[in-house]
Amino acid sequence: MKRKPWLLLLLLTFMLSLVLIGCSNDEEEPEQSEETEEPGETKEETEEPTESEEPAESTGGTLIYARGGDSTALDPITTTEGETFRVTENIFESLLTYGEQDTTIQPNLAKEWDVSDDGLTYTFTLEEGVKFHDGTDFNAEAVVYNFERWMNGDAEQFPYYTMFGGYKGDEGHIIESVEATDEHTVVFTLKRPQAPFLKNLAMSPFGIASPTALEEMGAEEFNQNPVGTGPFKFVEWRREERIVLEKNPDYWKEGLPKLDEVIYTVIPDNSARLNALMTGEVDLIDGLNPSDIQRVEDDPNLQIIERPSMNVGYLGFTVNRDNPLSDPAVRVALSHAVPKKDLIEAFYAGYAEPAKTVMPPSVEGYNDEIEDYAYDPELAKELLAEAGYPDGFEIDLWYMPVPRPYIPEGEKIAEVIQQSFAQVGVTANLQTTDWASYIEQATAGEFDAFLLGWTGDNGDADNFIYTLLDKDSIGSNNNTHYANDELHDILIEAQTITDQEQRNELYKQAQEIIHKDAPWVPLVHSTPVVAAKKSVSGYVPHPTGSEAVTNTSISE
Amino acid sequence: MSQPAQAKVNQPMKKEKVSSPWRDAWRSFKKNKIALVGTFIVIFFIFIAIFAPLLMPYEPNEQILLDRFEAPSSTHWFGTDDFGRDILSRVIMGARISLMVGFTAVIGSIIVGSLLGVVAGFYGRWIDTIISRIFDIMLAFPSILLAIAIVAILGPDLQNALIAIAIVNVPLFGRLIRSKVLSVKEEEYITAARAIGMSNFRILTHHIIPNSISPVIVQGTLAIATAIIEVAALSFLGLGAQSPDLDWGKMLDDSRAYFVQAPWTMIFPGLAIMLTVLGFNLMGDGLRDAMDPKMKQ
Repeated sequence: MKRKPWLLLLLLTFMLSLVLIGCSNDEEEPEQSEETEEPGETKEETEEPTESEEPAESTGGTLIYARGGDSTALDPITTTEGETFRVTENIFESLLTYGEQDTTIQPNLAKEWDVSDDGLTYTFTLEEGVKFHDGTDFNAEAVVYNFERWMNGDAEQFPYYTMFGGYKGDEGHIIESVEATDEHTVVFTLKRPQAPFLKNLAMSPFGIASPTALEEMGAEEFNQNPVGTGPFKFVEWRREERIVLEKNPDYWKEGLPKLDEVIYTVIPDNSARLNALMTGEVDLIDGLNPSDIQRVEDDPNLQIIERPSMNVGYLGFTVNRDNPLSDPAVRVALSHAVPKKDLIEAFYAGYAEPAKTVMPPSVEGYNDEIEDYAYDPELAKELLAEAGYPDGFEIDLWYMPVPRPYIPEGEKIAEVIQQSFAQVGVTANLQTTDWASYIEQATAGEFDAFLLGWTGDNGDADNFIYTLLDKDSIGSNNNTHYANDELHDILIEAQTITDQEQRNELYKQAQEIIHKDAPWVPLVHSTPVVAAKKSVSGYVPHPTGSEAVTNTSISE
Repeated sequence: MSQPAQAKVNQPMKKEKVSSPWRDAWRSFKKNKIALVGTFIVIFFIFIAIFAPLLMPYEPNEQILLDRFEAPSSTHWFGTDDFGRDILSRVIMGARISLMVGFTAVIGSIIVGSLLGVVAGFYGRWIDTIISRIFDIMLAFPSILLAIAIVAILGPDLQNALIAIAIVNVPLFGRLIRSKVLSVKEEEYITAARAIGMSNFRILTHHIIPNSISPVIVQGTLAIATAIIEVAALSFLGLGAQSPDLDWGKMLDDSRAYFVQAPWTMIFPGLAIMLTVLGFNLMGDGLRDAMDPKMKQ
């Protein structure tokens, strides 16, 4: 009995000192370990490939890219999800590509193209001497094979192919035929003109896959072992952990890529990922909490790289579920209950602007005349009462488990919305699940209300409005299952005509309709940032959210 | 739980004015300064928990997003968290929830555990075998793992976390009571009671239970400390309180991402957990020393 108290006191002191040590260390630690750990680490990583492969020409080293979520597939056409494209951009190439930081059309596998006057025939001349990673030749037949494969599929297999209006046999499908007229010439014949056709072709999902590999492996296997023409070859994929790519030594662009190896690793927690960067475990991270930007800027070894903004983060209401959200009046009322400005102030550190419509202002056809539903809980309450819900109701509100460029902290934002809905009498139960199921369930329309967002793939208004809210896109990207025939007619017309002025007018009308029906509360257009070591150079983030690291290099 | 037992034993003692185990215990407890400090901490937190609504300077769930991550100041004594919520108010509200969960879970497991333990110890034979084996099985799991499994089955929320912790602690009390009952059962006064034809039920309620309960009080105090930690752990893992509910563990979880830029979001709920647990442990240790006849000077 005499001894015990002393022991306890000792323990207390010990615990207190632990707490104090813990606090002071946190701030010093990064700098210390940066000096001690980083050089060792980088050397190790770079030496490995150098010694084992081509000691003579190798200068590139390894880039370790940490992100919040794993890819859901590696055959890009099978998904609509950005973490997949981020990787497959390095493995596959589309016929066309975009400018370095914009969405202008640039040649890629097709070096030249010619459009007929009626906008119905596109003739592409392909690069010669390009080989797939499995050694087979890239040629016109390969292009035809890929398009035949896609157009004979369905929305479940190849969700993004809806960019071409549907599948073979569908009324909306715009491609009449794809033909190889000689070894290096492909002719696309369309049923009706599609204004964003070239922009669509340049999208990541339409990367050309090796027909031989597809035949040999079958679609399932190919999805795990992709074979394309890109600057990097696939090496291995350990789910939820890492994807390893190695340099394609026979890449058709001379002298590229600069790196020997790229590793995409997954660190789900935003602060853990930043810590990994600060301690030198990884070279580049995305999904930085905006509140941490200052920390990175203060670190002499790190840099912030801004990605040009072309996205929207939104709160979606699934409109065909048996609950009050199926009533547009209720959705409008709730639109008045979301404090967007505060959200941006708190969770984006100024790297975002409030959204009032589906697409960002940088995209042509943006309707600036739309007056956003102002944040006004009192008005929201009144409107809810008018709609017949004076006592509110209960819904499930889903938030994504991984940081997205448009919503870096889903849970936090969901909590704010939960709180502000509570003020108008609506109880929102927060729910989440893993990322792959999240997308799947959202697509199936299983969520009452959900957070999600979209990064434009090609810079065209069509890729926002048609892709996200047309009735054709239900089952691919229209997760609200909102279907409006008036809107549909406008969007189809806008696809068909090629005069940009006229198209812009139509998209402005479309935005009015969506604004009125409010299937979404558009939240933000963010400027995503990535953080990297100062030694990383040549990394140019693309507004579409995914880019190959062909020109990226890392110095000692 | 302790009240009726105490009254029962105290009655004959008042007349005789001789020393009783309870009075002795109190006397030695009073002398134990450390235990008194612990008791004081416990009472302090109970006071806070009871009067939480009066003490909170702000509504604990009120988000003022423009005031997020304010350092401790005269307006927000403990600072604000990532939603601009007042941490002092949340710690106070958390005291109410954490203590309530701790107490309820432990009282629940004492009731169930004691019942099972008494039945096992008193009736013996196959009943004892079955109950004891079930306890063994439950004790074979690490308690937090078992709690996680139970919450996973019931679904994550604070009430289910409470139930899980109550279940996890049942064998602790069950075994304790059982072994005590086993030894008390052999005492001569029980044989005497049997000899004069007292019914089993009366022997149980009047003699065996009152004489077996003292270790449970000690164990109960210590178990509250453990329960508070376990609730916090479950909430920290996202299996306890779900927003907008809060408790200390959830506060720690919420602030995990910001502990470098805003350490106060983590320090205060952490300190609250540490102090409460320390209080209960000190008090429990004091009680044990005071009540254990072997420790008598």
